[in-house]
Amino acid sequence: MNLDWSVVWANAGPLAQGTALTVVLAVATMAIAIPGGILLALMRLSGSRLLSGASASFTELFRNLPLILVIYAAYYIMPITLDVAFSPFVTGLVALSLNVAAYNGETFRAGIASIRKGQSEAALALGMSRWQTMRDIVLPQAVRRVLPVLASTWVSLFKDTSLVSVIAVSELAYTSMRIRSQTFRVLEMLTAMAVIYWALGYPQAKLVDWMNRRFGVSE
Amino acid sequence: MSRKGHDAGQPAVLDYRAVRKQFGSFTALAGVSMQVHRTEVVCLIGPSGSGKSTLLRCTNGLETIDGGEILLDGAALPRDPRGMRAMRRRMGMVFQNFELFPHKTALGNVASGPLTVLRLSRDEAEQRAAALLEKVGLADKAASYPSNLSGGQQQRVAIARALAMQPEVMLFDEPTSALDPETIGEVLNVMKTLAEEGMTMVVVTHEMSFARRVADQVVVFERGQIIEQGPPEQIFDAPLVERTRDFLSHLGWAG
Repeated sequence: MNLDWSVVWANAGPLAQGTALTVVLAVATMAIAIPGGILLALMRLSGSRLLSGASASFTELFRNLPLILVIYAAYYIMPITLDVAFSPFVTGLVALSLNVAAYNGETFRAGIASIRKGQSEAALALGMSRWQTMRDIVLPQAVRRVLPVLASTWVSLFKDTSLVSVIAVSELAYTSMRIRSQTFRVLEMLTAMAVIYWALGYPQAKLVDWMNRRFGVSE
Repeated sequence: MSRKGHDAGQPAVLDYRAVRKQFGSFTALAGVSMQVHRTEVVCLIGPSGSGKSTLLRCTNGLETIDGGEILLDGAALPRDPRGMRAMRRRMGMVFQNFELFPHKTALGNVASGPLTVLRLSRDEAEQRAAALLEKVGLADKAASYPSNLSGGQQQRVAIARALAMQPEVMLFDEPTSALDPETIGEVLNVMKTLAEEGMTMVVVTHEMSFARRVADQVVVFERGQIIEQGPPEQIFDAPLVERTRDFLSHLGWAG
């Protein structure tokens, strides 16, 4: 087999841009999906049948559809039904955020449920409102408790961003594939892509392990 | 006769009238009537599951009652959220498991009520909190998190946290039951000081010597009912009801 690694170095610029876009996409998705997940969890636990039902429907819809289908749907259906024209990047961001928010919603719900009732009773007994109790007492503890789970979701998300390459978002996967089809250097480009994803993902996974040890046990 | 001798003309701070509470088919309170007067210390004793804690939890609305009524200073307990919050500010509660907020320091725990509920400035709230930590003997632990405090210290912080709202009544739900024997004394001492300062207190307890020394009135519960109530001399030395004697001898109480 004849390998020519120079194709990787020759395309270092586009690969670096693709990598940067992957990071930006993952960060932006989490920045939307964390507040979104908290909102979904609060709606689910609100006691209002309407809010709770809406949250549950959203969660079960986006948790149980393949992400790639959601991405295609956002790309083809959203412009028609909502009459909006987003760039591929924003379209990918919307699809990823819907998916990750659904997962985060369940994560926060479990975290909130894991805080024992006595904590909110102590806050209520001081005269706090239900909202103050949630905001000041329950949520801060719940967030700390689910930090390792959020970090795992983050690591998955980081790799799943590659799926938006199907709608031509020029992140790392799309860029690598584009160079591959222009140069026919399949093995070289796949290897380069693997090395970059792994080199970025491995420290994150290690960080998750550390967070599990640091935050996983409490009380 | 109350040890402190309350004015008979004054309405009771807490007036329980035939209070009933049902948990499914289990009757937790089967028509309980009693009164708590200002500056009185009332100890609720009796076997587990006899309704003492439930009565306490109904008092500040953590449980709703299914019948009868509870009057606070002559007015029925409110049921709307706003009214309940206003009512809860007037009562401090101390829990068996402390329920300190683990993500806040001792000072942060004590300041949390004044900050969030009374909306004091951070300086004012923390000054008040520091003074109360001093009062319960924990001034040096202000910056410690609950996980670094002993059980007795945590419970004293919890008492300070309740006091920070400057309540008219303090409710204690088995405050020493989760404590190591060697730390029970420090908590009871704080409670005794409070009682001597004239705080109105309702205490669910298994500490019979505390009830004996500090209570003005002892109320004996069994199966959701009050079977006997009176001054500690009566309950511990000459109970009128056979089952009171049985309960006390069960605990090894020898007078």
